[in-house]
Amino acid sequence: MASGNMKDIKRRIKSVQSTMQITKAMELVASSKMRRAKERALAARPYFNTMYQTVRRLSAETRDGDSVFTRRRPVKNSLFIVIAGDRGLAGGYNANLFKLAAAEIGDKSAKIVTVGKKAQEHYAKRGWQVVSDYPGIAETMRISDTHTIIDEVIALYRAGDVDEVFLCYTEFVSPLQQEAKCIQLLPASFDKEPQAEGAQGTKVLTEYDPSPEAVFDAIIPEYLYGVLYGAVVESYCSEQSARRMAMEAASDNAGEMIENLNLSYNRARQAAITQEITEIVAGSGGVGA
Amino acid sequence: MATFHLKVLTAERCFYDGEVERIVVRTATGDVGILPGHVPYTAALGVGGLTVIKDGQKRVAAIAGGFVDVSKKETVVLARTCEWADEIDVERAKAAAERARANIHHKQSDREQDIAQVKLKKAINRVRIAEYK
Repeated sequence: MASGNMKDIKRRIKSVQSTMQITKAMELVASSKMRRAKERALAARPYFNTMYQTVRRLSAETRDGDSVFTRRRPVKNSLFIVIAGDRGLAGGYNANLFKLAAAEIGDKSAKIVTVGKKAQEHYAKRGWQVVSDYPGIAETMRISDTHTIIDEVIALYRAGDVDEVFLCYTEFVSPLQQEAKCIQLLPASFDKEPQAEGAQGTKVLTEYDPSPEAVFDAIIPEYLYGVLYGAVVESYCSEQSARRMAMEAASDNAGEMIENLNLSYNRARQAAITQEITEIVAGSGGVGA
Repeated sequence: MATFHLKVLTAERCFYDGEVERIVVRTATGDVGILPGHVPYTAALGVGGLTVIKDGQKRVAAIAGGFVDVSKKETVVLARTCEWADEIDVERAKAAAERARANIHHKQSDREQDIAQVKLKKAINRVRIAEYK
């Protein structure tokens, strides 16, 4: 009986060890992917910051309601662009995002555009009205990949099929912290730029070629491409770091389990030896008498 | 000679960051030259060239989409795509032009037609810029 028990424990140790090998490997892969994704996210930041500043300044100089992109209208249908991962085993990464998206959607009549295989599966299974899916683009994302998505969204928006557009993604705060977020893309609204207090008193007059409205309408799609690209890059980076963290925890747990199993294995072995000795002593005692 | 600060950014990288004497950039309404002390100016970009002149040296890049923003502090060009003339793979650009041309002749939706037109324009522009230097 004891030797059977030992065999069982041995087998479990082996199985945990091979699982640990996998989680270790996934951890290393995720951390190297994360490093690359982080570089990409950081390289993109100056572009977006400048883009955001310019668009905000422009929107302050054009009156609200001048552009189709800033005019508010009664909301009948909303569109949600949901960016999730292509794979699971990333801790709470996908689940957190879906939870946030569900809370944001609430009881609105919502259409969905999904980015990532997990988002596609999630919304297809629950019978949402999905406009289109873009699985498997995050890893090799380029700015030109955003064009088809945004052009489609803008077409829907212009046609009046949707009256507002939201974007759900995961912000990369640090390798240890990611935050699911939802922002409104359209109609675009920007905080008014804080006026430089008493600096000159006169506002700088910028010349727009051909007109502020035309420039604004040309820039908004660029701005949306940029925002979407940034969101996908950030989400991908978050996914990798969430996976790295989850796999690190799994490897740690596996190590702990192996330690405990080794302990019980040794105990079982000791018990078997003791029992054997007892049996031999009892047997030899019988023979001697 | 007077200079001003120029930044050329794309989503993928910081393309240029430094002092220049003069630039010429293709906006949606035509080529615009920018010298030091230009008034604040913002315009959307078309498909064309970006010429940067520094220490009398000329450097040309192919540029497509985005916008240019001139302020007192600096001039910022935010481009959708941007590459130096000597970085352009002429063979690839020519192949892309051929493909786009073939696509245009296919019967297809207006949207696809538009995309092919833009692609052709960009490819021709890249070939032109690459051979300009």
